[in-house]
Amino acid sequence: MTEQGETGEIITILLVEDDAPTCWRLQDALVKAGYEVRSAGTLGEARSALAAGAPRVLLTDLRLPDGHGIELIREMRQRFPDTEIMVISALGDEESVISAITVGATGYLLKDAFPTDIATTVRDLVAGHSPISASIARFIVRRTQGAAQNSAEPPPGPVLNTARLTPREIDILWGIAKGFSYAEIASHLGLSKQTVPGHIKNIYRKLEVHTRSEAVFEAVQQGLIKL
Amino acid sequence: MSEIAAKVPTKAPTKAAAKPARRRLLASRLVPYLLLQALIVIVTILGLRLLQPSDPDDFALSDFSAREDGLIRPVTLPHFTSSRYSLADPPFYTGAFTFRSADAASGWSVYLPRFSNAVEVAVNGVVMLDSRRDANANRPDRNTPQIAAIPTSLLREGGNEITVRLFVWGPLKGFLDTVYVGPDVALRPAYETRTLLFVTLPVVFSAWQSILAVILAIMWLMRRHEPVYGVLAAAMVLGVVQAFAPPPVPPAATSRLAAVLLASAPIESALIVVFGVLFFGWRWPRYGTLLFVPGIVVFVVGLIGGPPLPRILFLVLGIPTVGLCLILMACITATAVVRRQDAASFTIGCAVTIVLVCWIQDMLTVLEIVSNDRIFVSRLSYSAMLVAIGAGLTWRFARALNQVDSFAGQLVTRVREAEERLKASFAREEERARAAALANERTRLMRDLHDGLGGQLVSIVALSERGHEGASITDAARAALKDLRLVIDSMDDIGGDLMLALGSWRERTTAQLRPHDITLDWRVATPQGVPLHPELRPWHVIQIVRILDEAVTNAVKHAQARRIAVTIDTFDAGQGPYGVISVTDDGHGFAPSGNGEAGRNGQTARGLRNMRNRAARCGAVLDLSSDASGTRVRLQLPQRFPDSDMAVG
Repeated sequence: MTEQGETGEIITILLVEDDAPTCWRLQDALVKAGYEVRSAGTLGEARSALAAGAPRVLLTDLRLPDGHGIELIREMRQRFPDTEIMVISALGDEESVISAITVGATGYLLKDAFPTDIATTVRDLVAGHSPISASIARFIVRRTQGAAQNSAEPPPGPVLNTARLTPREIDILWGIAKGFSYAEIASHLGLSKQTVPGHIKNIYRKLEVHTRSEAVFEAVQQGLIKL
Repeated sequence: MSEIAAKVPTKAPTKAAAKPARRRLLASRLVPYLLLQALIVIVTILGLRLLQPSDPDDFALSDFSAREDGLIRPVTLPHFTSSRYSLADPPFYTGAFTFRSADAASGWSVYLPRFSNAVEVAVNGVVMLDSRRDANANRPDRNTPQIAAIPTSLLREGGNEITVRLFVWGPLKGFLDTVYVGPDVALRPAYETRTLLFVTLPVVFSAWQSILAVILAIMWLMRRHEPVYGVLAAAMVLGVVQAFAPPPVPPAATSRLAAVLLASAPIESALIVVFGVLFFGWRWPRYGTLLFVPGIVVFVVGLIGGPPLPRILFLVLGIPTVGLCLILMACITATAVVRRQDAASFTIGCAVTIVLVCWIQDMLTVLEIVSNDRIFVSRLSYSAMLVAIGAGLTWRFARALNQVDSFAGQLVTRVREAEERLKASFAREEERARAAALANERTRLMRDLHDGLGGQLVSIVALSERGHEGASITDAARAALKDLRLVIDSMDDIGGDLMLALGSWRERTTAQLRPHDITLDWRVATPQGVPLHPELRPWHVIQIVRILDEAVTNAVKHAQARRIAVTIDTFDAGQGPYGVISVTDDGHGFAPSGNGEAGRNGQTARGLRNMRNRAARCGAVLDLSSDASGTRVRLQLPQRFPDSDMAVG
């Protein structure tokens, strides 16, 4: 069985993970699902793998022996904007997932996810459906509240600009944070069930900070920096 | 008073020793004061001599012939006549002056610097000045001068005749000072000087007095417990009335008013003594009221009997009373100076001395012991003193206000200091509380990790050591991971919204159930879910989530359920809303009594005990029902989560 994208070609995945057992496990699950997987254990290996061409999906761990996965994600976003980026996280904690999202990732994968779930998540991502967990949704909506209250000291964790989120998107996040399914959220908000995952991807894109100067601009906009 | 009070407990020898010391103190304070007062007496006398207005002596007419009681004799002005009580047949002075029209560039005038009590002046038989028409001019206590222009047509070249009729009302003797006749330009300045000193100045003083009286009266009205202001205001009001009310000229129809005016001086002076006593903080002695008796007697007699009785009484009673009051006042201020040594007592003492000197001078004038053209100065000096005292009081009042201000300022500073101390201690307290909370949190975290993760890891180790393969180790490791996620998740501040924690739990549970092919039905009955609990702490969340985990695990592992339903609802029995979370499965249930397969049921029983225990720690109520068609775990949340762990044992 071979997993194919919309245009019909085989979906290639670059998997960057330094822990060998985890890497095998993920690779097995993805190969079994029909993806073409190249794996790398370090940043350097990942970069040389990229020389051969852009993958459709990048799956990367954050803590790597020769650097941080964040750098790789940023490079990817600049060089290959069409590549879908997912971060591999052991616990799915907000700290790592959100910081990956702010540099351009649009999904995350739990290291202990069941093999079927791994394949499903990647397939959904390629189809434009970004995964989100209740705790990540909670983290984002609590940041929107914090920005509204204009608290003096920024909350701990990665800097997050929630100013561009629409009220509708924030409502969706609230629903996810409280454990409602996409169908339930859609019926609550009068949406079609299919549009909710697309909203999630939009939310991730809005949270992305594209360049350093833009980051500074956003910080000024939010009053985090005084010029 | 305080000195006496301080001395009471001391023994006789100390008392004896204290006496000379006190005497020394008295001497060291009183002597300089008395010397100062002597100096002031001298300065006052010199001042009075210097201030004596000078008259244009070139135009003086001193040689008159006086007809008194039918007796004509030559007199030299100034001249005293006998005291009399009838206005009929007044002393009649006839004099002569020479007029040369060559000198008369301006008009000529006749100028009378001082007379007592009223005059009628005629030149060449034509009356041109009658001071009786000007009531104020006839007051013996004022030294009002008079001037009148002589119509040119009346003047003859060469010798002219001037006649003066002097009206006298007793008991004072009549007095006529030198008469001046000459060019108006020469006489007018002297007249103006005297008017300024003896007419305008008293009016100015009286005006001040009336203003101060109003101010002091207002002060007294606002501060009734300080009668000193009221007393002084009363004295000033009396003074003002006395100064402005026109005195009746005999034969006045309103002789009663004359009595009131006459009585004012002794009453005023008695009031001043009262003021002095109160001002220096002493109690007014009851017999002190006797000081008012002379004034009241004059007043009553004036009301009952007509003149001249009140005037005689005034001379006999009133004026000595004034003197007595002044001497009393001098004594009071001297005592105050010795005791207090402050600026107020010194100032008032000096003022009293000046007034006293003026009063003695007036007495000597009345008794014709000294001759100073019968100029009375005590009233003027008294007015000046009152104004000084009033100004002093106002000054004291303003200073008191300043003190209040600075006191308020100090208070503000103190309050700020206290506030800062409080803030600092509050910060310390907060720091301590935070440290305690942190320690608690750490303890909780340790316990949570130990309870879940620790046990599971140990179990993994044990399983791998015994050579177990696959499933059991995987389950244990997954359980450990799940617990780690739970502990990490519980660290997040969910702002009292349990639904946020339940949302994460649903997600994890769904993922957990998916491989077992079990559906998780999730039903939230109310849009908001369970009520908000601001007091919700992470350890509450962990207990609740572990209860739910246990219920789901039981359903999966032991009941072989295919479907698990979680219902979240809110009820309100009238005592506030509370949440209820139910976990229902369609498994084959278990017997809560616990007989059956020992191993499995023992494990279930332990799990159930754990669940109940956890529920109790959160103040929640756990309800379990199980039969062959399924199991239902109903967790009723408290209306308020307990602050401290309610665990028993």
